[in-house]
Amino acid sequence: MSEPILEVRNLTVHFYTYAGIVKAIEDVSFDVYKGETFALVGETGCGKSVTSRALTQLIESPGRIVRGSVIYHSDKGSVDLLKLNEEEIREIRGSEIAYIFQDPHSSLDPLYTVGYQIAEGMEVHGRVKSIKEGIQKAVDILRSVLIPDPESRVKNYPHELSGGMKQRVVIGTGIANSPKILIADEPTTALDVTVQAQILELIDDLRKKYNATVILITHNLGVVAETADRVAVMYAGKIAEIGSVEQIFKNPLHPYTKGLLKAVPNPMTKVERLDAIPGTVPNLITPPGGCRFHPRCPFAMEICKKKVPELKEIEDGHFVACHLY
Amino acid sequence: MEPVIQVKHLKKYFPIKGLFFTKGHVKAVDDISFEIYKGETFGLVGESGCGKTTTGRTILRLIEPTAGEIIFEGKNVMKFSKEEMKEFRRKAQIMFQDPYSSLNPRQTVFDIIMEPVKFHGIEVDDPEEFVVKLLESVGLNEMHLYRYPHEFSGGQRQRIALARLMALKPQFIVLDEPTSALDVSVQANILNTLKDLQSEYGFTYLFISHDLGVVKYMSHRIGVMYLGKLVEIGPSDRIFENPLHPYTQMLLSAIPVPDPELAQELKAKRKMVKGEPPSPINPPTGCRFHPRCPFAKEICKKEEPPLVKVEENHYVACWLYAKS
Amino acid sequence: MQEEYKKGILDRLADKFVYALGSFISLFKKGWKEKNKSKMEEWRLMLYALNRSPPALIGLVLVIGFIFLGIFGPHLAPWKYNYFPSLENWTVQYPAPPGTSVYLPYSHKTITYPLGSDNYGRDLLSMLLHGARTSFVISIIVIFLGVPLGIILGLIAGYHGGKIDELIMRITDMFLAFPALILAIALSAVLPQRLQMFVQSHVVLEKLTLLLFALDRREVGNLGNLLSVIFAMIIVWWPAYARITRGSTLTEKEKLYIEAARAIGLSSRTIMFKHILPNIIGPILVYITLDFGGVILMEAGLSFLGLGATPPIADWGRIVYDGIQYFPRAWWLIFYPGLLVMLVALGWNLLGDGFRDILDPKTRRSIEFKVKKSEEAESNV
Repeated sequence: MSEPILEVRNLTVHFYTYAGIVKAIEDVSFDVYKGETFALVGETGCGKSVTSRALTQLIESPGRIVRGSVIYHSDKGSVDLLKLNEEEIREIRGSEIAYIFQDPHSSLDPLYTVGYQIAEGMEVHGRVKSIKEGIQKAVDILRSVLIPDPESRVKNYPHELSGGMKQRVVIGTGIANSPKILIADEPTTALDVTVQAQILELIDDLRKKYNATVILITHNLGVVAETADRVAVMYAGKIAEIGSVEQIFKNPLHPYTKGLLKAVPNPMTKVERLDAIPGTVPNLITPPGGCRFHPRCPFAMEICKKKVPELKEIEDGHFVACHLY
Repeated sequence: MEPVIQVKHLKKYFPIKGLFFTKGHVKAVDDISFEIYKGETFGLVGESGCGKTTTGRTILRLIEPTAGEIIFEGKNVMKFSKEEMKEFRRKAQIMFQDPYSSLNPRQTVFDIIMEPVKFHGIEVDDPEEFVVKLLESVGLNEMHLYRYPHEFSGGQRQRIALARLMALKPQFIVLDEPTSALDVSVQANILNTLKDLQSEYGFTYLFISHDLGVVKYMSHRIGVMYLGKLVEIGPSDRIFENPLHPYTQMLLSAIPVPDPELAQELKAKRKMVKGEPPSPINPPTGCRFHPRCPFAKEICKKEEPPLVKVEENHYVACWLYAKS
Repeated sequence: MQEEYKKGILDRLADKFVYALGSFISLFKKGWKEKNKSKMEEWRLMLYALNRSPPALIGLVLVIGFIFLGIFGPHLAPWKYNYFPSLENWTVQYPAPPGTSVYLPYSHKTITYPLGSDNYGRDLLSMLLHGARTSFVISIIVIFLGVPLGIILGLIAGYHGGKIDELIMRITDMFLAFPALILAIALSAVLPQRLQMFVQSHVVLEKLTLLLFALDRREVGNLGNLLSVIFAMIIVWWPAYARITRGSTLTEKEKLYIEAARAIGLSSRTIMFKHILPNIIGPILVYITLDFGGVILMEAGLSFLGLGATPPIADWGRIVYDGIQYFPRAWWLIFYPGLLVMLVALGWNLLGDGFRDILDPKTRRSIEFKVKKSEEAESNV
């Protein structure tokens, strides 16, 4: 469990837009351990999606990875993913590191059958010799993502499937090459709760079955509490806190994490009044100096305005970037 | 307690147009009845496509119902004269989900709030002072008076929308997923504001949402919808402590809870969650939930279950509780 | 990457202009300037965007020049458009080339032709100046009657939908199915007599038309032709606007603020004109600007085919038409009016393209950001 598969250090991505440089993420560092489910959680625009995409250089213009390293420890040895060229990273992306995106409706090409789309991904990475062979394999894959009657479903076009079924197919394309790391970017946000529960369970089952590592990107704290082993909380392009699920939910240290947990209405307990975090998320073109949370922080001190807090280990495996500690 | 709004056998079918003829109907809302009492929040919860949004709009006659009655303060809304309708438009308001398109981008905040006031002929001594007071009551201030919507964040826009409908001193407000486009930290702010305003002015809310946590936080009573039908109505606490309908039970066990220990407990119960809501074009016969229901019996496939009372104020439409 | 925004003279002028305009409106509406800060800021940014686009500025200069000529042209003309020197001195070979001077024995004057003369010895410069008014007035009338007609019909069709939509749009389709030029030719061939009778039986209308085109009383008999072209072009012009407006209305009416307006109880008319129209007018304005050039081109084209303004009324297209038989000897009769038509059409088109950029919020936001940054830097010094 304690063997890292990904070591991310000082990852920084800027977007050069018409309005100025958007500092989407700055100096993001974390480790992901083999076989775990690692959650990146935060609100809109906190940089969680950008982080997940930057891992395999999936940043398109006007964005650019400014600095940082992503060390990937595979069976074949260790490599910095950000130093690979276009050809080499494509080898890894899709076969060793696969993505599942938020919207199942637009992640599938409406012009091809689902079987073809799964087969195509396998053929590109040389797992099968022909599309025909791939489509036969696709039946097994559809079965493994619990799609009923996979023999006939493989010939279906995306519009013939429901939202939940489509997301299962997307997951199928993701696991087709039995990847080591599965990056799921808000995989259930577009789905209803009853479907969400089934998809999350499926991802977890597949992780165990294939002995894969899952990086889950979500804004939903409930989903995190349920599926993740370890959590990184992001705010305004920075990591605020990293820890195990128990540490984050039972003993949150960063004032932002605390605020966030109190702001979510828990359906299972009686809440008289939610504690809201005052203010709004800052824009990332001119983020606040020092700790980016200080304008909204109830415990802000003089130093918070000036100095950027470093991630410090407070207890075993529990890091926080806050001047209070 | 007197009901502010009574909905009786409300139906809304949307025709599906073929090349020449109507091919069929989407039964978005199919024969639902409920009432909302003065000063309470009635939560309407369900998954996408269950008809909760259509219900909210049909009650305000923003969409004309196919059949059924809507009684507002003892009078039938469907039979309102032009003057009564104008009065109804003042007393019953709606707040929308998407704060980015619900404000006219070409109007200043002042105009956005004053337009309905002028239209309804509400006498205001000093319009500026009036608008500033409203803005302050929703947590904005006079600095924002002559700005345009694009200068505000999503949460602030929802506050402007709130100030606009408060200007008319309404009695009844439909809140159609007012926070689902917002981040959690902002959501908590808006929800608290809505609660404060209710206790101050005695508003009656119809709160529509797919988020059970939010619905529980806001509502006194809750109605659960599935495929155009109300399957369960009851007091908020009872729905969560003692869900009767198998769909409600499934829904509750499916919500991810922001508490790792509780989550592991719930996971065990989750075995019953299966399937997806079918299309409302050709809904299943009998009880619409029967194909997904672990307790489905023969009768469930044939006959629609009636809404029966199980405990005080707690009704359910399920053959497990009704006698055929 | 982030260059500083340097304000030029034009930008400072724009600052002053917007400020002056705000103060001016505040004279009539108290406190307007304070309440409309955001609006004035937006105007300022629009002007900044204009200043950054040289083609649009060239277009603006050309268009302002044309409008100036359109208003004051007839008053600037050294000679009247219907003064025929050939009646006094027939010893000269007309059309006379540029620079020729001719002595007129009866009126004891010498006429010099800076741009040459036509076959009756009329001064081409004066005719072009008068012709500017003709084009200007025609384009204004066509746009100001045709476009609103199209917009209103498009709004009604798009907002109400259903049978009303079908009816209006099928009529629009009928008009669009005809090639515009053919329809205009047919109409301007059929209409003149009727319009002539109509104008002459309404004294006010007759006087107004003469005044607008700066014509002599003598030209009363020619008004029918002029008006028939205008009428024909209005008929040709509205359908395109009905279609554009309907399309934008259909997308705009789905937005929630329209539903919010309905929830308040506002009437359809208020919703259409106060809520939908201001939000779709941007692209339509671009079209209108481009179409000013289009109307002028088409009008010149119709006159060139011998329809519309009849001699001696000065009209650019007509001058070319009449001059063709003397080509290539009298090249100036083709060259100068042709050049003017081209410049004016070019001017409107450049301006229209410029508007497209100016009305794009993205352009404005990018300028806003840079301006704010440089203004902050200035105030810090």
